[in-house]
Amino acid sequence: MGMQFGDVVFYRRVDKGIRDQFMRNAVRAAQERMRTSRLRAAEELGDWEEWRQLGEEIRRHTLEHLDFYLKQLSDRVHELGGHVFFAQTAEEATAYIRDVVQKRDAHRIVKSKSMVTEEIGLNTALEAIGCRVVETDLGEYILQVDDNDPPSHIVGPSIHKDRERIRQVFAEKLGYTGSAAPEEMTAFVRQQLRPDFLTAEVGITGCNFAVAESGTVCLVTNEGNGRLVTSLPPVHIAVMGMERIVPTWEELEVMVGLLCRSAVGQKLTSYINCLTGPRAAGEVDGPEEFHLVIIDNGRSDILGTEFQSVLQCIRCGACLNVCPVYRHIGGQAYGSIYSGPIGAVLSPLLGDEELYRELPYASSLCAACTEACPVKIPLHELLIQHRQKTAEKERQSPLGERLAMKAFGMVFESPRLYRWGTKLARTALRPWEEDGVIRQGPGPLQPWTSIRDLPSPKRETFREWFENRRKRGEQP
Amino acid sequence: MIHNREAFLDRIARKLGRLRISEPVKRPSHWKHGPQWRTLADATQEELLSVFEHQCQMIHTDVRRAESSSLPDVLLETIRSYDGKSVICSDDPRFAEFGLSTLFTTQDNPYGLDVHIWNPEKGKINIERAEQADVGISISDITLAESGTVVLMSGGGKGRSVSLLPRYFIAIVPLSTLVPRMTQAARMIRERSERGEAIPSCVNFISGPSNSADIEMNLVVGVHGPVKATYIIVKDR
Amino acid sequence: MKVSLFITCLADVFYPEVGRATVELLERLGCEVDFPVAQTCCGQPAFNSGFHREAKKAARHMIETFAHADYVVAPSGSCTAMLKEYVHLFSEEDEREWQEKARALAEKGYELTQFLVEILRVEDVDATLPVKATYHRSCHMTRLLGVKDAPMKLLSNVKGLSLTELPCAHDCCGFGGTFSVKMAPISQQMADEKVSHIKETNAEVLIGADCGCLMHLDGRIRRQGKPIRVMHIAQVLQSGLEQEGR
Repeated sequence: MGMQFGDVVFYRRVDKGIRDQFMRNAVRAAQERMRTSRLRAAEELGDWEEWRQLGEEIRRHTLEHLDFYLKQLSDRVHELGGHVFFAQTAEEATAYIRDVVQKRDAHRIVKSKSMVTEEIGLNTALEAIGCRVVETDLGEYILQVDDNDPPSHIVGPSIHKDRERIRQVFAEKLGYTGSAAPEEMTAFVRQQLRPDFLTAEVGITGCNFAVAESGTVCLVTNEGNGRLVTSLPPVHIAVMGMERIVPTWEELEVMVGLLCRSAVGQKLTSYINCLTGPRAAGEVDGPEEFHLVIIDNGRSDILGTEFQSVLQCIRCGACLNVCPVYRHIGGQAYGSIYSGPIGAVLSPLLGDEELYRELPYASSLCAACTEACPVKIPLHELLIQHRQKTAEKERQSPLGERLAMKAFGMVFESPRLYRWGTKLARTALRPWEEDGVIRQGPGPLQPWTSIRDLPSPKRETFREWFENRRKRGEQP
Repeated sequence: MIHNREAFLDRIARKLGRLRISEPVKRPSHWKHGPQWRTLADATQEELLSVFEHQCQMIHTDVRRAESSSLPDVLLETIRSYDGKSVICSDDPRFAEFGLSTLFTTQDNPYGLDVHIWNPEKGKINIERAEQADVGISISDITLAESGTVVLMSGGGKGRSVSLLPRYFIAIVPLSTLVPRMTQAARMIRERSERGEAIPSCVNFISGPSNSADIEMNLVVGVHGPVKATYIIVKDR
Repeated sequence: MKVSLFITCLADVFYPEVGRATVELLERLGCEVDFPVAQTCCGQPAFNSGFHREAKKAARHMIETFAHADYVVAPSGSCTAMLKEYVHLFSEEDEREWQEKARALAEKGYELTQFLVEILRVEDVDATLPVKATYHRSCHMTRLLGVKDAPMKLLSNVKGLSLTELPCAHDCCGFGGTFSVKMAPISQQMADEKVSHIKETNAEVLIGADCGCLMHLDGRIRRQGKPIRVMHIAQVLQSGLEQEGR
């Protein structure tokens, strides 16, 4: 599938999202729950601001010294008997993984949830060589069974579906005959997937954090699928975005705490699984062969730019859970596996800039995302940076806006023009006035008045009142 | 093997506007902020225990307390509460120290339990037995009060599957393993590697049974891993 | 105390009554109000749209216009936050001088209620407004400027005012400047959600501290024909004390 899905233009996806009342209710409820649990978790911890500062400090330090820490990590994994592949592109990464799979003559693959493997379109690449790839995270599994429906949330990929829809999907595709009770459907999935875990030849995971000093890969899950994927198959391939690294276990601990609290409001998720190399001598379970695939895929182009801080992201989804825009249009409207505020910043950087050009504008810049981010990424400021980039490539911004902004610059630099402009507006709009408001404005006012009334400019502007008052001698 | 590394890292350095780092990076040993060290810093053992027990309620995990002397009974009672017939446990010398040898007799078990003790020499059979077992039993290596977490380190007789594949999971928690939070555990693990000891290939931080909220944000306990968990706290000193 | 008023363009053109209330309120509290007539707009629409060259033009003009001021006070959290943004706007090496000037302006810039509470140290302005109301906390005021408590302190001392907390107060109303027209369908959904929360409180009056949010919400409330009146906090704080002869 890759990072991008769908080919419908952004505005059509927005309309589709807004019309999907069912999805919106589901998203609203999920958002509210995750937001509340995050706030509760932060409150329980106390000193949340200090924690955020620590998180930010750690992430910034790591990014500033990324080449060093990646070298240290790869040396350690190598010493432990693992293999490390540095992939500049998605194609390099998938080719390597295919190679590993083919060398083992493997066909049965289990995966635990991973954004980066979606980003590089790994499933498609493996299916193309005849592998059966099973997503084992319950949310991902639901989407996979539903003809690869795209995810709508970084943490809860299937939050746009309700239990009845899930029951239907299971019934249609898997012959499920039970009820829509979450417990029953979950038990059904447990039964379905257990044989897959036991017979899989390769397990593929993402990597929430890698520890440079010890060569450890850390997986944060609740379901236990991450543990199964890394305990039973003889081969484990961990795929990580190159920025998902921390110096030592001590920073790992801080970041894991921030992630669990921000993503799901838990102190720690049920399983924090820390894997250091393949299984050691004398061990029975755990992989005999371990591969770590470190992915650039556009990330290095972000380093050293005004967008560098976006690489601090730990994929907790907290920004999605507070974003009103996301709430009303849903994750799929973003057309990228990375949705919400982080998606609006990240997708144009990692993906086709042209394709995602509207995303930075799909924000009221309310800064709820920035406030929620546990590693203090100034998300709303980065959205403005994107807009600035677009504006600077002049040909890309719509002509109307460019002219308006040019005029803006002239008018607001000149009090005389400003005054003249406000007077002109007052006179020009008179024909559209009705009881002090304009209901159907002409030309440029149309987008405003299409949904709301506009107050008509007052007969006496404030500055006129102030001057007149002085003239009248009313001033105290 | 390490593939494609140099070009990859050169590019990163270039993008960061500098040469590759050749000297070891001094990671700020004292970050400007250290809130993690303050959490529960002054708590007594008894206070930590109460935090731990409270947190276990939040994560749907039963907690029982036992004295060294009562441990076998409490453990047996817990296994029976799960209607457990078959049991798998890790091969951990501490079981004997806690006087559990009789309970874990594999041949002609006096309690009628079908017991398997993880034995690396038997290879894959261990995993099959774990898959078939009703109850898996491990002893916590480090226990985190704040999050209700038992830390299990893999290696030799301590297979990963024991705490993963059976339907029910019981962790014996020696009181001496209790620390405030993950902070202390992380430092202990780091110190181990600084002393030149290998870090276990798998360190699991387990906080309760497996669960998922993927269907309408409804918390369902028991997805892929154990569906229920009990921690038995035992005073070991 | 001499206060230089930054009125903001929306108040100037669409809501002069907000400006009048601000002036009268400040004067009543003993301030001498100065209105530098050269002022225009803070430049936020251009800045937020990514037109930073144009935003800088507006910024330089505003910095010069208020160079003489002791305090710059605006009846808007959003525009005040923009004044503070100028420091970051002039980030180039050769813009040091402007950055310093911008810093000076940022240091003396205050949102109205912030000024009343933090500088004048007034929390009870003796106003009377016997209505049922709710308060919309605007995003830029609370998140960018960090002013949360000042309006609540002042409103809690308005006689007769019965204030109900707005559910989901943390949510944006959907104005967002050019967002309101560029992404009108999304803006509409956000406004409707906000209006439905306002309705839940049974408030007769919606109070806010930013003309942008108020214009957007008022426009949507009117379009829906709902019986809710919108007031700027300056008007509320001057209620029952309006000067004669207006």
